[in-house]
Amino acid sequence: MSRHPNSRKKKTMNETVLETHNLTRYYGSAAAVDHLNLKVPRGCICGFIGRNGAGKTTAIKLMLGLLEPTAGSSSLLGCDSAALTPAIRQRIGYVTEGHRLFRWMTISELENFQAAFFPRQWDRKLFAEMIEYFELAKKRKIKHLSNGQRAQVSLALALAPKPELLIMDDPTLGLDAAIRRQFLEGMIELIMRQGRTVLFSSHILADVERVADRIAVIDKGRLRASCSLEEFRSAVRKVVFTFADSPPAQVDIDGLLHCRRSDKQLELTLVGADDFEVAAWAEAVNALEHHTAKMNLEDQFIEFTAPANRRKLFQWEET
Amino acid sequence: MKFVMLLRKEARESAPWILLSVIVLLAIGGLLLRQEARYGQDNWRYSQLSPGQTVSPYMLTRESVLTGPGALLFTVSIGLGLILGIRHFWIPHFTRTWSFLLHRSVSRMSILASKLTAAAIGLVVFLGAVWIALYWYACREDLFAFPPSAKVFVNGWVFIALGLIAYLGTALSGLSRARWYTTKIFGLAFATLVLFVTITQSRVSSALLITLAGIVILLVQIIETFLKRQY
Repeated sequence: MSRHPNSRKKKTMNETVLETHNLTRYYGSAAAVDHLNLKVPRGCICGFIGRNGAGKTTAIKLMLGLLEPTAGSSSLLGCDSAALTPAIRQRIGYVTEGHRLFRWMTISELENFQAAFFPRQWDRKLFAEMIEYFELAKKRKIKHLSNGQRAQVSLALALAPKPELLIMDDPTLGLDAAIRRQFLEGMIELIMRQGRTVLFSSHILADVERVADRIAVIDKGRLRASCSLEEFRSAVRKVVFTFADSPPAQVDIDGLLHCRRSDKQLELTLVGADDFEVAAWAEAVNALEHHTAKMNLEDQFIEFTAPANRRKLFQWEET
Repeated sequence: MKFVMLLRKEARESAPWILLSVIVLLAIGGLLLRQEARYGQDNWRYSQLSPGQTVSPYMLTRESVLTGPGALLFTVSIGLGLILGIRHFWIPHFTRTWSFLLHRSVSRMSILASKLTAAAIGLVVFLGAVWIALYWYACREDLFAFPPSAKVFVNGWVFIALGLIAYLGTALSGLSRARWYTTKIFGLAFATLVLFVTITQSRVSSALLITLAGIVILLVQIIETFLKRQY
């Protein structure tokens, strides 16, 4: 059911615009999305991150009702994904993976095509501004545009109808650094101006760090984390313990992700462990000192999603 | 407005093939008729009969002047049906534009209807118009002694309907997500079956009836598959 645009003002930031309940999708015997429980509040920019093949695209297609879930459900703007009405779709912008557009159309023709589906919302001025900002000629055919330029057209097409919820599937995939920055700046500018909700999948962590205020980490189809970016940044950390002799054989501390040893040092990657717990453990194992090593989001993500057999490999290397 | 935009898009994608078909049918069909009118051995006129010459039974049972253009219509119609089916339902899969197309503020049925309408316009309206033009030309008494019968004219429409069968069969196969050697080929196999059964009919009415039944069966399958299909 469609809501009046003014009703948005009354809504709080806690309102959930995207929600999944045990969303599951199997391809044969392999689970692409496995019991995904995700909530995206209104007004945030949520980075949906995961490695290649983690299930990001499948999850997005399930949310948009383009795929049918094996189990579970999801809803967008309060409407079940399996039965998204044209009115609800009109309030959702979608940038497809790889920016697949009709190659034979010119930018201008594509604008007219897209605008027809947003009769009252389409902002021709905004579209023209964005196309000008990206230095594109409206008469150019899509097939003559580079990958980056197609991405820019995709973004303009998705933003011009001023959607309440914008879902982008790996929008910066295959773009060079300069185009990526331009793309993200365009996105940020609009979002700051309009205060929309954005969910964008990516495996380029620098992009996520740059624009997202919330992240959802998906790994092998499972949701591993869904929190604010700050929370994730402070939750995942690497602590280096120094010992007088060799480090202890057994490491028993809550939230341990990875453990690397050297002669007199033990490097632990932890999630959710606070300073007090770390200090208590250091004291219990008679560590001479400990300090937290700097990690960027990419390091944190890699450590957080490193597969279990990687850890075994590290242990094997020790022996 | 939304449907019109979808229809315009589908029509624009189909236009080059429809135009090509119209040109081929009009040019070659017209040429065949012209040749027939000028040099046709079997095409005789009362005025050309020499004094005392009688009309032989062979002259009366000769083939219609539209036999050649009819065969051409059959080929063009089937070909256009196959090409439009591929253009509308296979190419979006290869170019991965289904997601972009389907995330529209219209029902899926509207998207499907726009494709079917574009194909129907191409086959029925454009090929039909050329067929009418050829039939009209063949009926000119100053050029041909015997006008083609109404049965020949209806035969042409059966050929056009077979083009629709080819389109729908290709569409159904394109929509199927099964492996190509399993039920994916059902659409094409069914269309081929309908085609063979139709052309072996001696009565035009039964041929037309079989074709229409085939169209209905394929349409029901396509609607069911398209609405439930996952992209």
